[in-house]
Amino acid sequence: MEVATRLTWMQEKKLQNYFGEKQFSLLYKASVHGFSTDRLLQICSNQGPTLTVIYSEDQIVGAYMQKDYGEGNYLIAVFVFQETTITECKVGPFKLPMLFDKNVDGNLEVSIHLKEKTMYFNKNAMEKLGLSQIYISFQDCEVFRCEDLLDERKMSGLTELKESLLCAIRNYIPYGGLVHKVRILLLGPVGAGKSSFFNSVRSIFRGHVTNQALVGSDPTGTSEKVNLKCLLLINFITHSIHFNLQTYFIKDGKDNNTLPFILCDTMGLSEKEGLDMDDIPYILEGTTISVLYHIHPCMNCIGNHTVCPLLKDRIHCVAFVFSANSVGQLSHEMVEKIKRIRRELIKSDVVHVVLLTHVDTLDLITKGDLIDVYKCVPVKLQAVHRKLGFPLSDIFVVSNYTSEWELEPVIDVLILSALKEMLRAADDFLENFPLEKTGRCV
Amino acid sequence: MAVTTTLTWNEERSFQKLLGNVSLRLLYKSSVHGRSTVEMQNRCRCQGPIVTVIYHSNSIFGVFTLGHSSDMSESFTEPNASFFFSLQKNETMEMKTVVLNSTVTFYRNNLTFCFSSYYNQKLSLNFEESRIYIPRIFEEELIVKSHAKSTFLECEVFRVEGIKDEAGYINRITRAIQHRNSLLADVRAYSPYADLVSEIRILLLGPVGSGKSSFFNSVKSIFQGHLTRQAIVGSDVTSITEQYRIYSIKDGKNGQSLPFMLCDSMGLDEKEGVGLCVDDIPHILKGCVPDRYEFSPQKPITPKHPTFITSPSLKDRIHCVAYVFDINSMDNLSSKMVAKLKQIQKEVINCGVAQVALLTKVNNCNEVLQDNFLKMNKAMISQSQIQNVNKILGIPLSRILVVDNYASEREMDPVKDILILSALKQMFRATDDFLEDLPLE
Ligand SMILES: Nc1nc2c(ncn2[C@@H]2O[C@H](COP(=O)(O)OP(=O)(O)OP(=O)(O)O)[C@@H](O)[C@H]2O)c(=O)[nH]1
Ligand SMILES: Nc1nc2c(ncn2[C@@H]2O[C@H](COP(=O)(O)OP(=O)(O)OP(=O)(O)O)[C@@H](O)[C@H]2O)c(=O)[nH]1
Ligand SMILES: [Mg+2]
Ligand SMILES: [Mg+2]
Repeated sequence: MEVATRLTWMQEKKLQNYFGEKQFSLLYKASVHGFSTDRLLQICSNQGPTLTVIYSEDQIVGAYMQKDYGEGNYLIAVFVFQETTITECKVGPFKLPMLFDKNVDGNLEVSIHLKEKTMYFNKNAMEKLGLSQIYISFQDCEVFRCEDLLDERKMSGLTELKESLLCAIRNYIPYGGLVHKVRILLLGPVGAGKSSFFNSVRSIFRGHVTNQALVGSDPTGTSEKVNLKCLLLINFITHSIHFNLQTYFIKDGKDNNTLPFILCDTMGLSEKEGLDMDDIPYILEGTTISVLYHIHPCMNCIGNHTVCPLLKDRIHCVAFVFSANSVGQLSHEMVEKIKRIRRELIKSDVVHVVLLTHVDTLDLITKGDLIDVYKCVPVKLQAVHRKLGFPLSDIFVVSNYTSEWELEPVIDVLILSALKEMLRAADDFLENFPLEKTGRCV
Repeated sequence: MAVTTTLTWNEERSFQKLLGNVSLRLLYKSSVHGRSTVEMQNRCRCQGPIVTVIYHSNSIFGVFTLGHSSDMSESFTEPNASFFFSLQKNETMEMKTVVLNSTVTFYRNNLTFCFSSYYNQKLSLNFEESRIYIPRIFEEELIVKSHAKSTFLECEVFRVEGIKDEAGYINRITRAIQHRNSLLADVRAYSPYADLVSEIRILLLGPVGSGKSSFFNSVKSIFQGHLTRQAIVGSDVTSITEQYRIYSIKDGKNGQSLPFMLCDSMGLDEKEGVGLCVDDIPHILKGCVPDRYEFSPQKPITPKHPTFITSPSLKDRIHCVAYVFDINSMDNLSSKMVAKLKQIQKEVINCGVAQVALLTKVNNCNEVLQDNFLKMNKAMISQSQIQNVNKILGIPLSRILVVDNYASEREMDPVKDILILSALKQMFRATDDFLEDLPLE
């Protein structure tokens, strides 16, 4: 028989979060290993903190123990898990194995009799837990070891991984050396997190959290309004403004070299206003305006652009940015708009990927889940796939730096992995680019 | 005391990948639970498939045994296929693997694996003295050095979670990698029949969204070693691919071109005037349509088109047509689509080109082929989708190929690679038959 828990993913997640971002390893399952206290103690002693879960016909009841079975007297947290709520009461202190021992004198608040498949409560505990009876007969009992989701071992593994990603990105050379830097265009609805993604990437290469691009919570969009201000304030932007587009070089914190990619932030898309659809072909071609000035979104200014756009000035990869929170509720108009932009990209053969931001704000998702985040958000990935038609493997999940003061390896790894895939996508674009065209205009 | 493995997170992930994207749950750790085979047996009995990990001075090695053999009673005398692997604790983290039939015994604090095919060789651990005896085959196959009096530092046992079907599992995961590599070598070494052309051209034809462009991306990904997305793919009511593309694929980032090209076309639609125009097909087959030609669904290409190739040679023409279908749609193709396909097939037969069918989006790629990977298994062949292709297009069963493109995953997978590379290899065979039959001019 398979040793697998009866908890659903959702139930396990709720318990994990409730007991402080834990990961559970199933050690003992009564229906497989036998309803025997001896067997249970053989397997579960000296395993550190454990969680015992009891399954009755219609209830899940359990006990969380912060210490080993072998150690002294301790308080035990007994809980009842009903649909979405967890009711807890502390019992004890007593020696942990006593929980399973029916020969103990005195009136234990809670005891589990494996052989009889019954769990007993005294009146007090019963009331505190909101139960209607003093005993529950159960079908199965499972014991898990509890480990921290983000323990030291994983943190150092993540740091190692981050370093290797950083190294790969720093040493990236665009396909065939056709250009020195690849340009990645960030496109997406207002407030999706485009500017925040730029800031996050910059922070990682700076080695601390920075906020160059202004981010905001203005429902009509932030980036458009601050375009000019940004440009004047920050000499960092050495390049020009592309219509409603901001280009940033990102400098590498360590040796002040610029990195082999440029992120281009745009004003958000919205149903009515916002980035103009007609500008997109020009933005992709890298049409530049020699004078820096602020353009109103409705103004369609296409004069004065360089005649023969160079390969190095054009966009090599597009990342559509969506918030995982709202991607399910995109309006019909927005979906149509994105599909139209996509057709435009297909026409110019521009490779594109999707960035899903704001995953940290999803229900039940904690920092520890970011390690294996793709397993935790299948519904969101499916939503993007179904609504917008992007293949699943082109969707990358990130969590931007917004309120953090310090860098976190687990967040860095997500962002850098996405960035690395974008560089590869740019390579695919360059490889696909007809060479006849590059001959003249590189 | 927290019970955590001595494996680094990186090492753990390599092991998980090696065993087929499984999860590992630590059950026993000798330094915490006591260096005793009894402790080990108590904790690891009836836990399903397990992997025992032994830490040696500068290498780690593991033994993976399946559930039914891991009851860990006094001994199990029936020899079982066990999978042994080692990992060097240095920068390259080189992994080596070997499958051996072994019997396991626990006796007086000794854990011993005896190998039926290597008489007198055994792997044995003495828990009392932390001594390990490493057999000669390990030195040869797994590059672990042994000394006369070797000690081991730690021994851990994990339950392996996430194995779907157990029978033949060990064989499959270990042989898959080998077989994939040999297929890869075959594809690289292919040279078209009598060197009539240096690169064969395979045309991908099929309904909108059937996975034509994804198949090209998947093939390219295998040769690049990571996922690539040169051809734009996705789902929409009309075809995502609007251009005719003749893709050549490099072997590695700056490698040589491979001996085949994949020609990606616009998807077919059952309606007239939508999707690829049937009248374009004869021109494509003859090699008259240039790379990057923008299809227009309403009007086919004519010789007046500025880049129309007027006198194509043998190397320009299509040598093999692959009809691409989503396997899940095969049972409910509309009659209009079937009619269109038959019309197209007539053109293909007129040109005498080789034909295969490529079914994409198969659900479980582990259950497609026989254990030796040399053909589809009986259950697969008898599926209605396969039978339908056979009936509608009259394509022989050996030329009906099933794949699962890289569409939803982020990592390469040897079993997927096997299906894709086997499909390519069959396409080569079909092409060679066609080239061989060409009338000499
Ligand atoms: N929690 C969380 N908040 C985020 C994330 N990304 C962005 N935000 C917040 O979302 C808001 C909008 O982010 P911006 O980066 O300004 O979005 P934008 O796409 O640049 O928006 P416009 O420039 O207005 O189009 C800000 O308040 C950010 O702090 C994320 O990954 N997690
Ligand atoms: N699960 C799975 N999805 C696939 C497979 N092949 C393709 N897809 C998905 O199916 C969708 C269509 O794939 P494409 O490769 O664009 O199909 P196509 O035949 O080129 O389509 P058009 O160019 O539009 O005619 C994409 O979302 C792919 O991710 C497959 O083998 N398995
Ligand atoms: Mg912004
Ligand atoms: Mg296509």
